[in-house]
Amino acid sequence: MTLLNLRTLSVSLALIVASLGAASSAIADEAVPNDFRLGSYTVFYRASADDLSGPFVPSGVNFHTDNIETLYVGYVRRLSAHFSAELALGYPPLTKTYGVGPATLGSVPYSGQEISTARWLAPTGFLEYNFFAENAVLRPFIGIGVNYTNFYDRRSTAAGDAGSGGPTKIELPASFGPAVTVGLAYQIAPRWHAYASYSASKVNTRLTSITGGVERTSHLEFNPQALVVSLGYAF
Amino acid sequence: MFNFFKGLAAAAAALTLAACGSSTSTSAISTSTARGTLAVDPPLRIASLNAATFAAELGATTTGAELLALTSAPVCGVDFYYVKFWTVGGANETTESSGALMVPTGAAPTCSGPRPIVLYAHGTDTNQATNIADITNTGNTEGALIAAAFAAQGYIVVAPNYAGYDISTLGYHPYLNAVQNADEMTDILTAARTALPRTLSAATSDNGKLFITGYSEGGYVAMATQRALEAAGKTVTAAAPMSGPYALEAFGDTIFFGGVDLGSTVFSPLLTTSYQHAYGNIYTATTDVFSTQYANGIATLLPSATPIDTIFSEGLLPETALFDSATPTVTIPNDPTQSAELTAALAVPNNPASPFTPLFQLGFGTSYLINNDYRVSYAINAATFVDLAGPLAPSGSPPTLAAIPSAIPSPSLAPAFYLRQAFNTNDLRNPAWAPSAPTLLCGGDADPTVFFSVNTGTMKAFWSDLPAGLVTVLDINGTPGTPLPAFAPLQVAFQASQTALLAYYQSAAGGSLSLAAAEAAVVQGTHTAEAPFCTVAARSFFSQF
Repeated sequence: MTLLNLRTLSVSLALIVASLGAASSAIADEAVPNDFRLGSYTVFYRASADDLSGPFVPSGVNFHTDNIETLYVGYVRRLSAHFSAELALGYPPLTKTYGVGPATLGSVPYSGQEISTARWLAPTGFLEYNFFAENAVLRPFIGIGVNYTNFYDRRSTAAGDAGSGGPTKIELPASFGPAVTVGLAYQIAPRWHAYASYSASKVNTRLTSITGGVERTSHLEFNPQALVVSLGYAF
Repeated sequence: MFNFFKGLAAAAAALTLAACGSSTSTSAISTSTARGTLAVDPPLRIASLNAATFAAELGATTTGAELLALTSAPVCGVDFYYVKFWTVGGANETTESSGALMVPTGAAPTCSGPRPIVLYAHGTDTNQATNIADITNTGNTEGALIAAAFAAQGYIVVAPNYAGYDISTLGYHPYLNAVQNADEMTDILTAARTALPRTLSAATSDNGKLFITGYSEGGYVAMATQRALEAAGKTVTAAAPMSGPYALEAFGDTIFFGGVDLGSTVFSPLLTTSYQHAYGNIYTATTDVFSTQYANGIATLLPSATPIDTIFSEGLLPETALFDSATPTVTIPNDPTQSAELTAALAVPNNPASPFTPLFQLGFGTSYLINNDYRVSYAINAATFVDLAGPLAPSGSPPTLAAIPSAIPSPSLAPAFYLRQAFNTNDLRNPAWAPSAPTLLCGGDADPTVFFSVNTGTMKAFWSDLPAGLVTVLDINGTPGTPLPAFAPLQVAFQASQTALLAYYQSAAGGSLSLAAAEAAVVQGTHTAEAPFCTVAARSFFSQF
């Protein structure tokens, strides 16, 4: 799914939710427990990796991961006037990893090559504190939580296989780590809010690539930061 | 709260689905351990070098540049694969081994499509971790040599690390075990032929021609392999065993009668360990063979992760002293004459006319490896059951206690002394055979490590009644142009390099050695120095077929 398609989908879903909201706008303005949010999720990787180590790997072989943008889906449960719980999800993005280090491994191009791709599902649970009154137009909020990141569809590209020396399996065990968020809610209508938030989470994993029975490893810290801009409907 | 949990449940469902996502596949690990099975399919490509990169990397060092000058610039790129395969050990035990598949690549017509295979066997290596496929290791000079000499010139190269090395868990190396050596070469050839079409270099394929070569221990392995493949009716296009200890019994006799070769203190434990595993009768305790100073732990000493110089400096092996410098007394009951003759034959060599005398004398000392009783027993056995090739005795032929040798140098008949019996069993004259494919035997008559005349010369004599041209013997140190004019440039180049080395050792940069010391230094390096010249001679020989 391309980024354009994702944006189109995100706008379409927002419109559907908006029309549903219009249909029920007659409901009295009261504190409702559920808030469903949809928006865009821009992930800035602050990834750092140890150089790949293992048999027949020259020194200085490293990689970087491109930032991605995807669809944000959030569910927020009101716990009290000031506290809420959020489960934040993103449409699993395709994350591309590029070689960093020697221009070539032997005669095989490496630096700058797209060597692998992976999707991840990273649900993050936050306990959030919302400032001001519930009916305030602007409500800042802060939150702390836990991020779980599960990597899947891990693939070594043809360039990655050539650099590694054959068909390569990539293992990236799931990561648990703390997450924090800070954001602002803007009330558009009694049940409609626009949200902007910035979150950071700690995502550590150990990459193992297996080629021809040989394992190479690297410790990875993705530590993503994410900007979420979303539209929410409370019900 | 109901909705909250419902939301969580939906997320959990999404997670479950996500976890089902697959990652790409990697090589399959074989469940079969049958001989010749490719254990990891496809094999790992350790490195891929195009011709220009390979030339640049070799050219970056002095020795590499010299090698390139000798082998010619690479025409092809080379892909280096790490082949793991199933074979057998010295007691026919199932075991995994590893080695190299080097595949020529590139646009030149000789670099892809159907190409011939060179099956190569490397020389004695004390380093247990040796991996000839690992071109990224700058210490892998033999791997670089065969890649430059063969693969970069359009030959597919297949070369085992040997059981006992690298990933092998065998725990010893079946050193100079003719049956195992040939089995392992055959098995890596089978595995490499399976692997080739599944590699990243599948544009290069096997054209069915098979050339067999190897140096030193590998010369022996190559000849054993040629014999086995020809006996099995398999194609051998041509073979070029180089500087190998083919006539093992005659060579062993030479050494025990005082013609001690350089490296013998390393070769001895490799041999006894190999034959103890294969036959179980070499010793009851290692002290049966070795002096008490060295016997403890010697059965598992080599190959080793510890550098050989450290093994020497730690006193685990003497560097050169194979035998006691105090000559043991031989006592043959009721025969004082022959007792005296044999005792004299075991004395430290002192023939001033022989250029080998200083070398032989290095083989004797006060901290010596082989105990005197064992040496005396061996000598009596050798003098009783005579190898008709005769040892290259340092001071004339030793006395014999049996019939005088006839003209045809055959190995002795089943000597009862077990180490010598193992030499006899693994002597490549036994059982009698002759090559059916054209064969080049290259070596050098100044080789201090694997003596040329007692090994290559003996095989030449053994095959003296074969049709002319079937077996060609090339002395790289011999008269240029003999036996074939085509080899003259290599002979001239080798001899010039030895002369240059002699001058170097006498220069300030080389240590300002005296002439005698410089000559000794040159001789010590001769066995290794011959290798690239003989290897290029082998390629030149193969290119005719």
